[in-house]
Amino acid sequence: MTRRHAASLLRWLWLGAVVVVVAFPVYATVVTALLPPTDVAAGRLVPRPDRLTLDNVRTVLGTAPLAQQYLVSVAVTALQAAAQLTTAALAAYALVFPRWRGRGVAFALVLATLAFPGESLVIPNFQLVSGLGLRDTVLGIVIPYLAAGYAVFLLRQAFLALPREVWEAARMDGCGDLRALVLVVLPMARPQLVTAAMWCALSAWNGYFWPLLITDSPQRRTIQVGLAQLVVDQVTAPAVIYAGTLLVLLPTLLLVLFGQRFLVRGLAARVTT
Amino acid sequence: MVLPCVGLLLVFAYWPVVRGVVLSLYGNDLLGDPTRFVGLDQYAELFTDPELRRALLTTVVIAGLSVLLSVGGALAAVLPLRRAARRPRAVVSVLLSMPFAYSAAASAAVFAGLFAPAVGTLNQVLAHLGVTGPEWLRSPEWAILSVSIATAWYEFGFAFLVLLAAMTQLDQHVIEAAALDGASGPRLARSVIIPMLRPSLIFLLVTQTISGLQVFTQVQVLTRGGPADATSTLVFELYQRAFGEALPHVGSASALAVVLLLLVLLITAIQFRVLRRWA
Repeated sequence: MTRRHAASLLRWLWLGAVVVVVAFPVYATVVTALLPPTDVAAGRLVPRPDRLTLDNVRTVLGTAPLAQQYLVSVAVTALQAAAQLTTAALAAYALVFPRWRGRGVAFALVLATLAFPGESLVIPNFQLVSGLGLRDTVLGIVIPYLAAGYAVFLLRQAFLALPREVWEAARMDGCGDLRALVLVVLPMARPQLVTAAMWCALSAWNGYFWPLLITDSPQRRTIQVGLAQLVVDQVTAPAVIYAGTLLVLLPTLLLVLFGQRFLVRGLAARVTT
Repeated sequence: MVLPCVGLLLVFAYWPVVRGVVLSLYGNDLLGDPTRFVGLDQYAELFTDPELRRALLTTVVIAGLSVLLSVGGALAAVLPLRRAARRPRAVVSVLLSMPFAYSAAASAAVFAGLFAPAVGTLNQVLAHLGVTGPEWLRSPEWAILSVSIATAWYEFGFAFLVLLAAMTQLDQHVIEAAALDGASGPRLARSVIIPMLRPSLIFLLVTQTISGLQVFTQVQVLTRGGPADATSTLVFELYQRAFGEALPHVGSASALAVVLLLLVLLITAIQFRVLRRWA
């Protein structure tokens, strides 16, 4: 009995150590962001309720055009995720339900792009998007990412699991392809649609390399690029950096806390294929 | 209906690959325009140019260290969680999945605050414990380690979520049978549970290695490739050559892009072969 207790104690000590190491940066972002900057710079990190302050958040909003950058990021996320879901739903429908020659090739073409590292495509895309006159615009940020292989992959899997008879019945009743997709297929695949939407939104919100390249003026950059600039400007005030990070993190933190069930479904789909 | 998607991918994914290969064959002329045909010279630079050789080595070191730390760490966290009671397990799981909520830029920003010279939070805390912390970002060796740690922390959340999901789906009967046969503790983990987690582990090793090879944000935010180019990676070199200098070298940056693409495709192909052999 005592041996089991000792093993259990050891296990919890180990887990405690892992939690301390992994959660420390989170603690820095969420708690010390709300402490006076001088306390943080001196390493006094234990929060006392009477010392909590929004000073750092105020400094962040005062030094960087973070409010505008927030709006840019929201617009980019909404546009990009909506476009990816639309193009992916159309493509996945065409790949699953109607039978036509070349659909295997089309799917292979889409799937292969999952293996392309985005960084290796930026130079020609930069020339192309600049040539279109879209540098420093929201449209320029989203245009290379209006279609995404991963979303097609997720929705195709979801559609494959649906009963084909329902679609056939809808077609027999004279339902067109678009109506069949919107009124019959998508409502049945709602959980996977949420999963795909979350992954699309997450990657749009988190994008860094491309938005950094294609935007120039501070007020037209995304919040991620703005945060990197904040780090340069505030290198002597970690508390301000943490406050800025907290602002950037807030939406995705909520997504991970409350949408984890959906996100994990997307992971499982990737591992097993 | 498949046209919008395939069309967009052809324009913004396939065409850039072709165009990138063409660009990589041209060097700058006297005016700085990429018009001079040089064949494969810019690929040869990868082996002859000391700057590039170093960047390649740095990339491999950072990718290797961060994969080891993130996947190893996630495994070491998930294994003891298996037998924990329901509620503490839920609390620990939420805490350990937090890094996943961070973007690359957000995680790099936090570590910039933790590692900052003079006022860095980590060294301040260490000072309270009576320990003098290292110059995280200012000595070449520590800087590579710091970038790797920041990258590993960022990757940890994803690895932990994948392994946690895999763990909850394990066949409990097999584990119980092994336990009845007398396997317990480390032995049970090594000869029963880890083999059962193998598909997820392979998936993680591959995806994390690939994203390790692409590491850029942590480098750009934490060190800008310094000190003295010690943390400059493949993608950071690409960025510097194509976008960071007054006189861009689009050709040699494109050669780096093609090399990156080939490396990633190679790893993906190996993954498929290995998985097929097991299936």
